[in-house]
Amino acid sequence: MNRKFVLLALLNMIVVPAAQAQIKHIEMRVEGMT
Amino acid sequence: MKQHLGRQSGVQNVEVSLIDGRVEIAPKEDGQIDPVQVLKATYDSGVTVAELDMTAQGKIVKDSSGNLGLQVAPNRSFAFAPNELSKGLESLADSQTVVTIRGQLYKKPAGKKKADPSAPLKLLILEVQKKE
Repeated sequence: MNRKFVLLALLNMIVVPAAQAQIKHIEMRVEGMT
Repeated sequence: MKQHLGRQSGVQNVEVSLIDGRVEIAPKEDGQIDPVQVLKATYDSGVTVAELDMTAQGKIVKDSSGNLGLQVAPNRSFAFAPNELSKGLESLADSQTVVTIRGQLYKKPAGKKKADPSAPLKLLILEVQKKE
């Protein structure tokens, strides 16, 4: 039981920061568009 | 161009303003969007990109050469173009702190009509919006 909790806590530490990392918005200024 | 960009992996929505030549891209939350591919796709559609800015959140990482960068996905990070703002993030390198950054990833070189879109891009930090 205790081991499962530790594994869950470790998994949470790995997965949560990765899920938070993302590109939120991209904006371009372009030339020659008709 | 709008349809061409909309077909790129990880793109949720594309808004084009013909008046001021601005293109806004909303990424999907799947993290699949690749700004380099977006840049190439824009060139492929026959349009010259003058500037590409992005807002991204991730962790500050340091590569083997000691260069700082922003990791936006487990397998994707952007090296910073050194400036005062990037120096201020040095203490967060390889920590668990998540930072939201607005930065310029590409700017067309002055005097040249077209730049090489396959050249490695560096992220020039314009604003550090949030540290968590």
